[in-house]
Formats: sequence, C-alpha cells, structure tokens
Amino acid sequence: MSSSTFFGLDIATRGLYSAQRGLTTVNHNVDNVNTPGYSRQVLEQRAARPLLMANGTGMLGTGSEVIGVKRVRDEYLDVKYRSEIQYLGEWEVKQALLEELQVLYNEPSGSGFNTVLNEFYDTLQQLSVDPSSPANRAALREKAIMLTKYFNSVAAHFDYLQNDINEIIYAKVEEINSLADQIAKLNQAIYRYEVSGNVANDLRDQRGYLVDKLAKLINVEAYEVSYGKLPDGRDDMRFVITISGKPLVDHDNVSYLAVTQRKDKLNEEDIPNLYEVHWADGNKLIVKSGELKGYLDVRDGNDGLNGSPDFRGIPYYQRKMNEFVRTFALTFNEGLIHDSQGNLLKVYGHVDGYKLNAADGDSPAGIRFFTMIDENGNPMRSSDFAGLGSDYEEMYRHITAKNFSISMEIYEDATNNICISDRPGEVGNIEILRSLIDMRHNPYMFNEGSPEDYIKTVISCLGVDGQLSMHYLNNQTAITKQINNRRESISGVSINEEMGNLVRYQHAYKAAAKMIQTYAEILDVLVNRLGV
Amino acid sequence: MRITNNMLIDNMLSNLNRNLNRVSKYQNQLSTGKKISLPSDDPIVASRALKLRTDVAEIKQFRRNVNDAMSWMEITEATLAQIGEIMQRVRELTVDASNGTKTPDDLDKIKAEVEQLKIQMTHLANATYSGRYIFSGFKTDKPLMDEEGNFLIDISDRERIFYEVGIGDDIDINVLGCDLFHRGANEAEAGTTKSHMIDTFDRLIAALESGDVTAVGDMLSEIDVEMENILRVRSAIGARMNRLELTANRLDDDNINFTKLMSKNEDVDIAEAIMNLMNEMNVYNASLAVGSQVIQPTLVDFLI
Repeated sequence: MSSSTFFGLDIATRGLYSAQRGLTTVNHNVDNVNTPGYSRQVLEQRAARPLLMANGTGMLGTGSEVIGVKRVRDEYLDVKYRSEIQYLGEWEVKQALLEELQVLYNEPSGSGFNTVLNEFYDTLQQLSVDPSSPANRAALREKAIMLTKYFNSVAAHFDYLQNDINEIIYAKVEEINSLADQIAKLNQAIYRYEVSGNVANDLRDQRGYLVDKLAKLINVEAYEVSYGKLPDGRDDMRFVITISGKPLVDHDNVSYLAVTQRKDKLNEEDIPNLYEVHWADGNKLIVKSGELKGYLDVRDGNDGLNGSPDFRGIPYYQRKMNEFVRTFALTFNEGLIHDSQGNLLKVYGHVDGYKLNAADGDSPAGIRFFTMIDENGNPMRSSDFAGLGSDYEEMYRHITAKNFSISMEIYEDATNNICISDRPGEVGNIEILRSLIDMRHNPYMFNEGSPEDYIKTVISCLGVDGQLSMHYLNNQTAITKQINNRRESISGVSINEEMGNLVRYQHAYKAAAKMIQTYAEILDVLVNRLGV
Repeated sequence: MRITNNMLIDNMLSNLNRNLNRVSKYQNQLSTGKKISLPSDDPIVASRALKLRTDVAEIKQFRRNVNDAMSWMEITEATLAQIGEIMQRVRELTVDASNGTKTPDDLDKIKAEVEQLKIQMTHLANATYSGRYIFSGFKTDKPLMDEEGNFLIDISDRERIFYEVGIGDDIDINVLGCDLFHRGANEAEAGTTKSHMIDTFDRLIAALESGDVTAVGDMLSEIDVEMENILRVRSAIGARMNRLELTANRLDDDNINFTKLMSKNEDVDIAEAIMNLMNEMNVYNASLAVGSQVIQPTLVDFLI
C-alpha cells in the first residue's frame, strides 16, 4: 500500500507553517529586544504523528507540527531577584537621604557648627580682654545670634525634609496600590486566557515586571497557589502577593494600603500630622524592607526610642540637637554642670552676673543669656522663661533647636545686660565670664564630653551611618545586578541568536517551498504528461 | 554563559558609570582641595578635621589674648619704670637736702620739686591703657587716687585680671594699686585709705618745710622701703612678661604644627590626586572606546 497522491504536499505545507511560525517568533523576539521584563520565546516543535504502514514497512513521517510557544524564564531567579531588590530599594533611599542630612550639617566646612561655635567662643575671649567695651559686647550678641540661628536653620531644614519625606511616603503608598490594581487586572486576563489551556506568555512577563517594581517598594512575596482542580483535571492556579504574610493581591482581589494623619506624634521631635501607613481595613502594616521602609525609617527613626524604628533618622538628629541646646543653655545660663560622678554642681553662670551699669548694693541681674523664641516670634524674657516650669528640667525642656534664641534682655541691651562680673560696679571684673569660657572644656557637660565633642560625636555618627549605607547600597547593587544578569542571560533576547534562527527558519521555509514545487512537478507529470 | 545584547549594554553602562564616579571623585578632590566633602566619605578624617579646626581656632585666639596681655603689661612696665625714676629722683633730692649744707632757700626749691614729683606720681597712678585705668583692679573705668593720694575706689587683692592664654592656663596681667602704692597692702578703701607712698611724699615735704635736716634724713629709710616695693612689683611683672613670651613662642609653634596636621588630615595631595585622575580618565576613555566597538556589530551587520 502506498500513501495518497497528495500526501507529500500536506507534509510540505506543514513544514511551511512551522517555518512561518518560527519566523513570527523570531520577529516577536527581535521587536521586544528592549521591552523591560520581556522574556524571549521559543517555538516548541515536534514531528507530527506518523502513520503506521499496514504492510509492515514501519512508520511514515508526516512532517512537523508546532505544539506551542514557550517563554524561557527561570522562576527561581525571579524569587531571588525580588528578595534582593527590596533591600536595594531601602538602601538607595537611606543612602540618598543620609547624604542630604550631612549636607544640612555642612561639616567639615568653613560655615558649619564648628565655625559658629569657634567664633562664639572667640568673641567671649575678646570680651575677656576688654570687658567694658560696648563693641565687644555687641559682637558677642551677634555671634550668639549666629549660633542660635545655625541651630534654628538646621532644625528647620530637618523639618522640611521630614515633611518632604512624608509626602513621598503618601505617593509611594499610592504607587503600591496602583501596582496592586494593575496586577489584579492582569491576573484576571491571564486566568481567562489560560483556563482554556494556553500560556499567556506576554501577559505573564508584564505581570512579572510589575511585581519586580512592587518588590522594590515594599517587601512582597509572590506565588501561585492551587485553588483546586479545573474540569479538565489541571490545577486551578491563582496568583497571590503578600506583604508580611497578609495578601495585597489575591487573584483579582486587592487589599489596599492607606494613610491617615497621626493624632499623636510618634516622636516629640516630629512635625505634626505625619502619615501612618496601614492596611485600608485597619490592620497594622508591617514593613520590613523596600523603598517605603527606607523613607519610614529616615522619617521616624529615633534609634528605637519609644517604639520608633531602630534607625538614626531625622527625629534622632533633632533630639540630639535639642539635647545640645538645652544642656548648653542650662550650663551657660545657670552655671549648672555635671561633675565626674554625674551630680549637678553649681558654678558661676550668666544669671549670677551683675549688669555693666550695676551700682553698689544691687543684686545679681539674674538674666539668662539664652532662652527661646516665644509664640509671637520674639526672644523670650528671662523672667517669662522662668515661668515655664517649676524646676530647671521643666523650664529647659521647652527649648528646642528650632526655637533656641538669645533672651530679650541681651537682644535689647547687650552693653549692660551681658553680665560677666561677679560684683556690682566693677567693669573690669570677668569672674563670671571666665567660668563661662571654662565650660567649653568641661568634659562632663555632656555624656559625650565637652560641647564640641558632643557635636563631633553626632556628626561622626552620621558619617559612619552614611558610609555604612553606602557600603550596603554598593553590595546590594552588585548582588541585584548579578541576579539580573543571570536573568538576562536566560531570558534576554540575543540578536545573534535570533538572526541565526531567522536564517534557519528562512531556509526551512525555502526548503518546504521547494518540496511543494517538486511535488507540483511530479503531479504535473502525473496529471498532464501521462497522456491518459 | 549565554550573553545577550542587553547584558552587554547594561554591563557596559554600569561600568562606565562606576568609572565616571571615580573620575568625579578625584575631580572633586582637586577642585575643592579636600580629601572629603561629606563626613561619610571618611568619618575618621571628618571627626579629626573638626577637632583640629577647633584647636587651630583656639590657638589663634590665645595668641591674640597674649598680644593684648603683652600690650597691657608693656604699658604697666613703662609706667613702673617712670615711677621708679621719680622715686630715684626723690631719693637723690632727699640725700642732697639732708647733707646739712643747704640754705632754707635751697630746701624750699627742693620742696617745690618734690611737690611736683608727687603730683606726677599721682598722675602715673591713674595711667590708662586704651581708656582703662591699669592700677584700678576691676574698676578699670575709675581713677585710682586723687592728687593727695587718697584712694578713690575700694580695691583688693582679689581684683586680679586674668587672661586665658591656653586651655586652663591663665595669667594675671594687672598690678593692683594697693600693692604698688600702699606698700604691698592687700586692700585699700575709698575715702579712708591714703596711699603710703604719697604719704611718704607728704611727710618729706613737711620735713623740708620745717627745715629739720635730721627729719629729712630719717625719711631716707622710708623712701628705700617704697623703692624696694616698686622693684618687687617690677620684677614680678617682668617675670610674667617673660612667661608670656614663652607662651607666645609655644603658641606660634603650636599654630604651625596644628595647621600642618590639619592640612595633612584633610587636604588632598595634589600630585597624587592628579595622577589618580589621569589614571581614571584613561580607564574611562578606554572603556568608552571599547564600548563603541563592542556594542555596534551583531549578526545583522553581516547578513547580506
């Protein structure tokens, strides 16, 4: 028995179809060479089912057939990539923001804290050399204003930054919700295509790409779970994304994140009405990494104090500056200073001094050199300041880096109200001033040491944190890049390869065409020339 | 490993970026002259830089204080020299007057000169340095005594003016009026105390007026006590000026040393930085050149 007359033409046609399908795939790959998230597709082709020859001469080949187009992708690398890029996102944010904080301190430079404090003490020294000079007294007032303004300005900039970050957090939450929405829609589409047994290659790529973006923003886990069996016996797979165990996207269903303004501040240094991020259903959101974590840590981080993130962020540095100005003002004004055992000792402070124009019989002026800006924006009087609390701690708790200021008395009349003499009527007496100058080198003024040591510690700490974040970022960049390279190596489109395939399918097409031509000639002989 | 076109491009871009980062680092170093621009570049250098800046600023201020102290003490020294000369002249006149050969007329002339010297002495007691009375203790705005030698202000030993010339290193720069004009007394009261020195003048003038040559001669020992007192104060001031000079020298050395340390800590070694920059530029250029070669051709270029 032989095969039918036109059987050869059928085989050749199949060959044409296969080659054509191959060319389409090459075309599709080449077009998407730069599409983010795209994974190359390959034709799955096999020999068509052969015919069994009845006369025992074996199987008769029936040509080729295409059984599918598969995307080349390693799901393991996707999981790995997503588990690393979340830290890349976090450290990118932290590194950039820590750099911004350092710029705000402006150290080391000719205009940072160090310079300001040096100049302040220089004018104190100059005053000690000519204590009755109104020019020196005015200079001291100006330098003191410069010192207070430095803190005001840095603290205000920290506030602006905190506010900016707050807005970014809002935007990032919106972005997460929007990505979740898009992924849910894709889930539906993919499910619809695939329920009939197809594979939605390109949609899956798009979804993968969106999940990558989401993973950079917040710690997510993405996986497919079986919901049971489909009528045709396959698993009913649905796609789920969770954040710290709670589903953000459950197939076509999205649980949104939401922000509300905090009624109570997390840190007392915070600006009011910062956003608290939580699940829209009211549950607490646990953010473990991602850009969102980076922003939250820098915005809220107070070294773990009072349940704040265990990170030195804006509130931490605000607190450090507040501590500095409070202790500095307390020591300078009241002459209260710690000894080596940590007890408060009384030495001469500015309150113990007499005015320049004090006469015999006057009592000490009791003027505090540093107070704070009151609610009307004016420097506060010493006496009003004393009314803020019954003890020193209560009084000085009101001073912050933001409102730190010289007192109204010093502001109004620096000549008379700078009190550096420990007796009335002695214009050359600088006993109080000497005590004030001595404080600069008192190693017990702060836990960290003298005033300069304190700030040095704060800035070094920021420097070390910044350096560390840089290291983390570099490491994380390298790791992510390495994984991405492996992904690209597997899934990326290679033009060379595609061109090779192009030539391959082109030749296959030509050959199949040739087969048809040959059969046409054979049939021509059979039909036209036999002359039956 | 399978290499794709995008891998090549991505890798090249990220390497180019890394190279450019290093170029920028050295360019930044050269344009600022500093090794670091942020504390995170090198926290240790940053923290040392802060410390050294404070040290240098303080040394400079201490040096200025030393200069001021020197000027004050130089004025004091010069005034003390004049006071010494006046006392010497009084002693000569007293010796001259007590030799028993002087007529009452001569004694009168001597008396007139001593009276002038006394006035001169009270003026010197009220000497000033840039408007401040140098012997008045803390009351630098008030004169020490009137022309009769009565103290116009309360003054006591505690009113020594200290200038800070080093951390915890104070030096008292003033001579107290009670010490100098009241025979080393620790205090004097306004209105009630009359200067011993001026009193000596008054008693000498009285003796000269009475023509009692023996009494004039007896005054010699009193004058010697005053002279010894002046010498004592002068040598004390001299010793302190000496100490100041040593301090000034030390501060000058410190200034140089600390400035050098500061520079070593934070300033960039220009030669090294230029070398590094050139090196990085070469690497950058090479990577650009290679990039342009590598990225261009694919199989597409060779198909027909």
